[in-house]
Order: sequence, then structure tokens, then C-alpha cells
Amino acid sequence: MSKEINFTEAEHMLCATANLIEEDKAYWVAIGGPPLMAMMLARRQRIPNVFYVVEDGTVSPQPPTYVPFLSGASGSAGYRAIAWKDMSTMGFHCALGYYDYGILDCLQVDMYGNINSSFVGGDYEHPRRRFGGAGGANEIASMCWRVIIMTEHQKRKFPERAEFITSPGYLDGSPQARERAGLPARTGPYRVVSDKAIFGFDEETRRMKLLAIVPWATAEEVLQEMAFEPLVAKPLGTVSPPTEEQLTILRSEIDPEGRVVSQGKWIEFQP
Amino acid sequence: MEVLASGKGVYRMPDPDGHREWVRTHKSREPKNKVMSEQEAIEKFVSDGDYLGYDLNIHKRGPTALFREIIRQKKKDLWVAVRFSGLDPALLIAGGCVSRIDIGWFMYGGTCSRAIQEGKIKTTEWSNSAVVYRQLAGAMGLPFLPLRYLGGSDVFERSGAKLVKDPFTGQEICLVPALNLDVAVVHAYQCDEYGNTRIFGAGLSPLETCTCAKKLIISTEEIISNEEIRRQPQLTTIPYYLVDAVVHLPFGTYPGAMPGVYGADGEHQIELIMADRAGTMDDYLEKWVYSVESHTDMLEKRVGTTKLLELMKMETIKEGYRA
Repeated sequence: MSKEINFTEAEHMLCATANLIEEDKAYWVAIGGPPLMAMMLARRQRIPNVFYVVEDGTVSPQPPTYVPFLSGASGSAGYRAIAWKDMSTMGFHCALGYYDYGILDCLQVDMYGNINSSFVGGDYEHPRRRFGGAGGANEIASMCWRVIIMTEHQKRKFPERAEFITSPGYLDGSPQARERAGLPARTGPYRVVSDKAIFGFDEETRRMKLLAIVPWATAEEVLQEMAFEPLVAKPLGTVSPPTEEQLTILRSEIDPEGRVVSQGKWIEFQP
Repeated sequence: MEVLASGKGVYRMPDPDGHREWVRTHKSREPKNKVMSEQEAIEKFVSDGDYLGYDLNIHKRGPTALFREIIRQKKKDLWVAVRFSGLDPALLIAGGCVSRIDIGWFMYGGTCSRAIQEGKIKTTEWSNSAVVYRQLAGAMGLPFLPLRYLGGSDVFERSGAKLVKDPFTGQEICLVPALNLDVAVVHAYQCDEYGNTRIFGAGLSPLETCTCAKKLIISTEEIISNEEIRRQPQLTTIPYYLVDAVVHLPFGTYPGAMPGVYGADGEHQIELIMADRAGTMDDYLEKWVYSVESHTDMLEKRVGTTKLLELMKMETIKEGYRA
């Protein structure tokens, strides 16, 4: 019997996202937090040269792995980039179709992959809890060919319809809904990574589809914690748990202060 | 052109000819010495009711010393474009300077949330790139630009964008109105006394921000000679004729980082976050803004040489941030 490994749900989510990152593709990554951490993990562990940009115009840097608290602020964030451009240039290149994947986190993601990162509860004029705004997520979700969305696996995170669509998924799910809204053709959400599962989207109906679950949860447990019923792939796949190597990199190099990796429940996994 | 949908958000009506007229009558093409104090620059070029824009934020290369002077002079009723922002809008809001914001992204803390709930501030939603794109349209002298995002979202509904049928292809496309700022405040690495300006690093949007503005105040870490500018013209980000005032403010983005020159003051950033959260921004502003006369006075009395040297030592990576 192999050794038990322990990790948090946040650590699992970072590893599962990092495992999706492919070499020879171009990524537009939200500038701070889990999406950038997943990218740094993939680069440090597996594919050191995978191409990414962040929205301030930093093109494919080679930063020291450690992401400090003010991650965008110091000279180290843009260290050894191939170019320092600006936000407009990133937008132009994305509109032209150069960026294969966007990676985003969110407050809510609904059955058609629409993302809310603006507010929860109340309405626009009187939000119960309001957050910053669309930021770069709207352009990333609109124009990258495919979008990977990270979220904790909780019922309030998976509503039937996002309380506020900050960034477009497949909108109302009707054919060509994105094109009718002026967005580039054949784009949209591709995967949703939670701490319990990985979802895709059905090509016919554009509805979210459960593709794989973690070995320590059942499909029932996954579905219980969602406010809508996703389609379910048959057979259902298994999401690989983090490896010791990944956890060591996360804890010692990427987030030594534990700001992100300490979040969520601890999982005691017996391979 | 057929308009298919319109956002409900309030926006500044584009006026490209009005802007041209301003340039004709107010913008001197003469290379003259524009160096002045921060008091003089803000007094002369920021008016109550102005639409204000700036580049970057309180964490990195934002024009924070100029913000403090705007607050000290109690400017009122500003409409501010906030994108890629931290708590920098909170400073202006706590100072009572702001009545309306266009939102790309900012750190939505206690100060902003209270001001919005009390109805002191009105908001319109955009995204980071959409605000910059509006400034790009303004910088091109155009009334609007088409873009391939915003459409379909609730952000569109709360913005001033329109969805139209493209008269050429017949396909749906989103349009955003141009934004010409009344005044832009931007912090730079180097400029000469005429305003020829160098900004290094991944830039966010210095070019759009500076070019679309009627009035432009540059604060700078260093003033260099015109000879020096002419030796490496490829490094000039902004030519002098766009610039109205040059203010020499070393550590002008404090408590933020000037990549390659000095790091951010983490302790100060936490002090600000706590003040924003606790609703004690008045005390914060008293300490850092009202009780000191100027940026230099603040550096002397509130920051001190030891801290400034420490911030310089922190910033070990300098490649690319020097001429």
C-alpha cells in the first residue's frame, strides 16, 4: 500500500488546473491568485517554456517562482519577459486569435459557463457583497479560444444562472448566442475545475457536463453541491490527485506563506 | 447603422471636434520649461468636475503623490476611470474628491462600498480593456471603436456600450464611446523639462492615457536633459507637446513600487488596507496628506531616509528599467 498523502482542496484545485496546461499553446492568465499560481506550478514542474501573458502587457516572463503578496508590483513579476507591451496589445492579439486558453477564477459559474465575479446577493444598486468588477475577465472569456474556470465546489458557486454575468459563457445556451452578442465565433468555456470534479460543456446543448470526479468523492456528493443538474459523461473519469512533487513546489516555492494553499478542507488520500 | 441593444450606463459623451478645438487653443507646441511644483500643477490643471484618468495603481507606478496633492487641495466632483486599480480610488473617495467612477477593476473595499451605498458615488461598469479601449478611441481622435468583447454580459447592460449591426459585414459588433480625459496624471521614470517622457516596463496604458487627455501632468523620478532624450529617441514614450506640467517627484509612487528603482512599502500598504476596512481613512489621510505640506515634507516627516533606502535595496531586479 502506498503512503497516504495529505493536501488541501485549494492545493488539489491548483494541481488539477496545472495538469490541464499544455505545451505549445498560448495562455492569457488572470494576473494574480490561483490562475497564475497554477501556471507557475505547470512551468516549474513540467513545461518550463509554456507561453503566457498577463493583462498589464507582460509577455512570457520567467519570474522567480515565488509569487509575493503584491504579485504584480515588483520588477520580479516581469523578469526576463520576451516583451513588455500594454493592455491594448494583449487585447489585439487575443482578438486576432493568438491566445488559445484563458484561465480565470470566479465567484459563480452557471450551467452555461457564464461567470460572475462582480457581486453576490441583492441587486446591482444594492449588492450584499460586491467585488472589484470585470477586470480583464470579460475580454479573456470573450476572445480566447477556450476558457478554463476555477472554482471551489459549493452549491452557491454553481447557480442555475449567474446572479450577474460579468464574463460571458454560452449565455442562454441557444445556438450562436455568443456570435449574436458580437463575440468571436467558436470560442467559449472549455473546462471548469473544482476541488471535487472537472466539467466540460456539451457540444450540442452547451450545457455543463461532469467529466471526471476526484477519487475521494462520489458523483452524488458532487451533484449535491450544485444548484443545477449538469449532464454526466459515461463513463465518468477520475481526476488525478496531487503528487508529492507538486505539493512540495506549491508549499515551498509558490505559496510559502500559505495564503492560497491553506484554504479549504484537508484531504487524507490513500492511493 | 442599426442599433440592436444599448447599455443603460451613464457615459461621458464623446466630442472629437471639441477636443481638437481644445488642442488648437490650449496646447502649446513650443518646447518650453514646464517644470513646476505639485501644488502649482494640481492648482492649474485639475478643476472641480474634471474627468480624471491615470495609469497603473497604488501598488505599482501609480501617480500617488499627485493623488495626495489633489486630496490636499480638496478637489471636488471628479469623474474617475478606475481600471487595474487597487485602493487608489479609495484615497480620492475618502478625500471627498469623487462623484462618479467608470469601473474596469479596483479593490472594492470599505471606503468605496460605503460611498456607493450612501449614494455619494455613481458607477458605470466596463472592463479593464474596455476603459483603455475607450481611451484609445479618444487618443485616435475618433468618436467610438468596435470591440469583440463586453457583448452578451450583464456588464454590457450596465455600461454605455452599444451592440450594432456592422454596416460592412452585417454581423453583430459591440461599440464603446471614446473617452477623452479632462486631465491625466501619470508617473514616469524620466523626462526632460519640456515633458519628453520615458516610461519603462509592461505599461498597462501610458500611451492611451496620456494621448487622450486635454491636460496632462507628468510626475517623474528623474529629470534628464533634452540632449539625453535625443541620444536615445527610441525610449521616448510621450513627446513633449502632449504634456502640460512636469513635476519632479522622486518616490512619487510611494507607497507603491517603481519596478527597477524601489520596492513597495508593504507595511504602509497594510496600514492603508486596515484603515479602509475599519473606516478610519480620515485618520490615514490626516497622517499622510493633510498634516504635511508636500510630498517632500511627507517623505521627511513620515517615511524617513532609513525606510527609503530599505525600499531601494529591496528592488534587486533592475534589468530593463534603465536607459
